[in-house]
Amino acid sequence: MVIQVQDLMKRYGDVVAVDGLSFEVERGEMFGLLGPNGAGKTTTIRVIMDIIRPDEGRVMVLGQPPGQAKAQVGYLPEERGLYRNLKVLDTLVYLAELKGVPRPTARERAMHLLERVELEEWASRKVKDLSRGMQQRLQFVASLVHDPEILFLDEPFQGLDPVNVERIKDLMAELHREGKTIVLSTHQMNLVEALCDRILLIDEGQVVLYGPLAEIKRQYAPHAVRVRAPHIPLDLPGVVGVEPDDGAFNLALAEGARPQEVLRALLDRRVEIQAFEVAPVPLEDIFVAAVSGEEAEGRR
Amino acid sequence: MDWRKVWVVARHEYLTNVRRAGFIIMTAAVPALGILVLLFGAFFAGQARQLGAFFERQFEVGDEPIGVVDETGYFSPILPEYQGNFVLYGGEEEAKAALLDGKVSSVLMIGEDYLETGRVVVMSTGSGFGAAALSDSDRVRAFFVDHLLAGRVDPVLRERAAAPLDVEPRVLSSGGETRGEGGWGFAFTFIIPYFLAFFLIMTIFVSSGYLLQSVAEEKESRVIEIVVSSVRPVELMAGKVAGLGVLGLTQIVVWSLSVWGFSGGAVLLLAATGAASIPARVLALGVVYYMLGYVLYAIMMAGVGALGTTMRESQQLAGIFSFFAAVPYMLSGFLFTNPNMLIARILSFFPLTAPTMMMMRLPLAEVPWVDVAGSIAVLLLSIPAALWVGAKLFRVGLLIYDKRPTLKEIGGILRGGG
Repeated sequence: MVIQVQDLMKRYGDVVAVDGLSFEVERGEMFGLLGPNGAGKTTTIRVIMDIIRPDEGRVMVLGQPPGQAKAQVGYLPEERGLYRNLKVLDTLVYLAELKGVPRPTARERAMHLLERVELEEWASRKVKDLSRGMQQRLQFVASLVHDPEILFLDEPFQGLDPVNVERIKDLMAELHREGKTIVLSTHQMNLVEALCDRILLIDEGQVVLYGPLAEIKRQYAPHAVRVRAPHIPLDLPGVVGVEPDDGAFNLALAEGARPQEVLRALLDRRVEIQAFEVAPVPLEDIFVAAVSGEEAEGRR
Repeated sequence: MDWRKVWVVARHEYLTNVRRAGFIIMTAAVPALGILVLLFGAFFAGQARQLGAFFERQFEVGDEPIGVVDETGYFSPILPEYQGNFVLYGGEEEAKAALLDGKVSSVLMIGEDYLETGRVVVMSTGSGFGAAALSDSDRVRAFFVDHLLAGRVDPVLRERAAAPLDVEPRVLSSGGETRGEGGWGFAFTFIIPYFLAFFLIMTIFVSSGYLLQSVAEEKESRVIEIVVSSVRPVELMAGKVAGLGVLGLTQIVVWSLSVWGFSGGAVLLLAATGAASIPARVLALGVVYYMLGYVLYAIMMAGVGALGTTMRESQQLAGIFSFFAAVPYMLSGFLFTNPNMLIARILSFFPLTAPTMMMMRLPLAEVPWVDVAGSIAVLLLSIPAALWVGAKLFRVGLLIYDKRPTLKEIGGILRGGG
């Protein structure tokens, strides 16, 4: 367990930003922290980063209070920016030194990371001379320059073009393979689905969903199958509804009916099946359903 | 407090700001002005008489003789010692012709009623300024007094009447000693330390201005979020105050060295007059007020600067402090005549005005020890208070990007944790 948050509470005046939040992040996992705007994600991250203090609750990072683990944690904030008039290399070295890395080590690591994101030729240029995409890559490596064990990425893909999204994704996957723990906070559900092992969905400062992504998806999977075929007979046993959907059909199943039985029935009727799958549920739908309070009971 | 991080921040702030064009220009331009002022002061203090004479010459009408048309008889003939400078003419027409020919610079027409009315018509070419200057000239005054009294009073009395007083100022202090060098030199014994104090106060504002700028820039560019995830706000603040304080000192050192370098031989003179005119007590206290003033203002600027959402907004907020610090300057006219006046003493006990007020008062007069001890105590007590408030505002203000907090919210921040 690298991060433990217990009954975290944070108020701003009369507004409760985080309301009794508890969760844990395991070593080496890619953890998704999700929630609509104003759900309390950034506040939670800032407490873990020791930027703000909680009103109540207990937070431990690598078994220590957050203030003592700063050197082992990297942070890419949602609100982004760097010293515009500073040189690229100097910026990275300074930020590493602030984390307690000795100057020579900081230089070495900074150069290595710049090579990794193809910015080594820009090392002695000023930050303001870099293009937007380059600045974002630089910002990303700035959060890694002190070689942290845990990395917090708040909306890392915001404002990135597809090429740079791929670059950052690759880099994240690489870091994940190296055994780093990554906490990813984003709105982009497709990326969470592609990258994260476990997720925490919060709304109004409280836990809405928490656990392994696969399990949550299974929990929320609708009781339906998706079939791509020229036509679907209307009197299939165990099927209570058929809806065409983008060249395929969604078949809602009756309670107790199993997908295998439907498949067998389709084959018996000699329907020309091109594709057959248990209907998936996009994380986005789970997110919307969970946040808007719909339990999607009818679809279970 | 992790002092290593404080050092990293301080070094970063120093190295970044020392390369700023604004800093370089300020550091290079001010000594030029300072050299002028200081050299002027040194020159005046050592050679007051020569310089006094030099200044007088500047206001003299020139070396050309002055024509005189005398209808009273007092000025005919012209006394031998004035014959080179004054030429007697028999009548108005003759004098006018000489004036137009450039033989004389102007003509004094002393009419019959002169003794009763003192009326003298001054004719000159060009602007009327010559005539006005003439009436104020010591040479012309002496000419009149000497001729009116010649042969009627004894020569010593005549000379005294022509130059009735030569002032030698002395100031009585509680120690009983007197200071005085006469004339201009005396004035400059005050003006040198006064300007030194002025420069020191300037550097306080330059440095705390950089501090404000550095906080506002980090906030505006959002890099602050990464910085405070690495260092505690109090470490960041301490590093900035230290780094930019040393930057201010750099400026002073550069200024002092350039004055020393440029003045060359005059440096001895400067040292002599400087040391004589700035008593050790004033110097030592000046340094104390400088340090205390800088730390207090820097902390305030950092705290308040953190509240603004843009550089401009931060500057407006910090303007309040600059206003307080400037109050003693608004009073400087009165301070020169009475440095220990009541309002000055009151302002010496108010933390925001105490450093500047005391730095201005100290060179001007013997300041009561109660004021010295009191103002230092007030500053020593205000600094921890400012640190407490400043660090809280700093910590919370740093992360408020969208809008400036209201006074009510600031109250909430101070009461709560943040």
